[in-house]
Amino acid sequence: MTADAFLFWFLAITTIAGGITVVSVANPIYAALSLAFTMVSVAAVFVTLEAYFVAGVQLIVYAGAVMVLFVMVLMLFDLKHELEAFARGKVSGAIKLLTAGLLGGLLIGAIAYSPEGSKIAVGANQVAVAGDPTKNLGYRLFTQHIFAFEALGVLLLVIAVGAVALSRSKGGTHGQR
Amino acid sequence: MGNDIFEITVNSVKLIVVFLLMVQAVPILVWLERRGSAFIQNRFGPNRVGPLGLLQLLADAVKFITKEDFAPDKAIRKLFYAAPVFALIPATLAYAAIPMSLPFIVPAFEMFGSSWGPYKFLVQGYEIGVGIVFILGVSSLAAYTILMAGWGSGSKFSLLGALRASAQVISYELALGLSIVGVILLYGTFSLSDMILAQQGPLQFVAFGYTVTSAVSWIPNWGIFYQPVGFVLFFAAAFAESNRLPFDLAEGEAELVAGFHTEYGGFKMLMFFIGEYGHMMIASGLATTFFFGGYGIPGITPAELQQVILSWGFSEAAAGGLNSLIHFLSYNVKFAIFLWIFIQVRWTLPRFRYDQLMDLGWKTMLPWALANTVVTAIAIYVVTL
Repeated sequence: MTADAFLFWFLAITTIAGGITVVSVANPIYAALSLAFTMVSVAAVFVTLEAYFVAGVQLIVYAGAVMVLFVMVLMLFDLKHELEAFARGKVSGAIKLLTAGLLGGLLIGAIAYSPEGSKIAVGANQVAVAGDPTKNLGYRLFTQHIFAFEALGVLLLVIAVGAVALSRSKGGTHGQR
Repeated sequence: MGNDIFEITVNSVKLIVVFLLMVQAVPILVWLERRGSAFIQNRFGPNRVGPLGLLQLLADAVKFITKEDFAPDKAIRKLFYAAPVFALIPATLAYAAIPMSLPFIVPAFEMFGSSWGPYKFLVQGYEIGVGIVFILGVSSLAAYTILMAGWGSGSKFSLLGALRASAQVISYELALGLSIVGVILLYGTFSLSDMILAQQGPLQFVAFGYTVTSAVSWIPNWGIFYQPVGFVLFFAAAFAESNRLPFDLAEGEAELVAGFHTEYGGFKMLMFFIGEYGHMMIASGLATTFFFGGYGIPGITPAELQQVILSWGFSEAAAGGLNSLIHFLSYNVKFAIFLWIFIQVRWTLPRFRYDQLMDLGWKTMLPWALANTVVTAIAIYVVTL
């Protein structure tokens, strides 16, 4: 096994283990922590692909965002209560298993029935990234993919507005005004 | 890592040396902090143990190591013990990516009956092409250790301190990141080494097709002359990121005992300490690199200095080594000045109130950083038309 292959399998296993822990752990604190761990592992995978900029951004944006989630978990959840609600209950457990099974089947089906793509020749994508890869990325993002980029921005705005609306309708943390 | 066993060995040793450089600077800084605070407050400070109280550090270290390894009853043990260890990782990783001197060039030589080829060793832990993004990304992980400690301690004071600290770090990370965007636009690169190269020589820039050079040759081509607002914002945000006064709400002694590390003692406490000082060192190193020419010496470029040393009668290789060493000292002088400013500010300014802190971060620094970015972008576009 070469060093590259070892690194890939090591990172792949840690990433997937982290991801499974996020959904299998009962305590939301540990779930948030393992989500952060998964994000860091994904950043490491990007590093092995020599996408250093994406790796750095992955750390800043995603790890930072999970940080906020972590704070939310700490501040807003009644953790003792959550522990019971997450861990107990036969009906909800069955539903969880069913959902996980459905999702798993969907994924396996998608992989199994997708047409086998033509293998990209080694060095084929090297032509595209001539010059500074970060500059290239930025250029493409703001020319070819500008619509998707702006649409994502709008989506995030919708999420922000929705979060504010939801927290206000229940009184949020500051009570009714 | 390298192509042969010699290069790999040297590079691995270098990693350890850079880590030790960071860790060993901490006791000296602690001493400086105590003596400096005493100097500022017109008292003596530690002066009993050893000359100038220097051995106080050693006594402190022994005290830290021999203290009882204590964990509170209600603590979540895994998190409680993991947090101090994790506190060291971001600081170490980020510090190792800052270039400290010219590359050290070793010419080809004979050893153990085989020839070893010319080598070029960078005076830093490792070089990463997207230096700034890496450093920002890694140091953004530091907030996790604070929350892990705060939650894991199972104490209200710790938890409140940790929540405050994380809110502060999240708020100021934005201003910190945006204040650097101006610098990135200016030099057009993420690499710290390239930035330092761009800052060598006398003040000189191209505007509207004309090359403007300063009349005084010793004024260096440093970033501070192009990004003064960016520097002020960066330095202020760096104080907040490293939880130093006037932003040390994380451990406001008066109301929160010691904030997130209230329950920690002995060596675990020392690790948080090293982490905090590590962040201070990263901020100083980055301020030096972005705005003050890194290891560059004002008035003389590395190539000129090389000629001067060669004229003293050294061989090519020895001159290169000496040149590297002199630039290393130059970097450390700038680095030390910034560390001293950190200490001086800590003992001069009082702590912010929490709402003042948030107002400063969101309503003052963030708009200024955004404005700085936009103005820099427009200026660069117009000037280089």
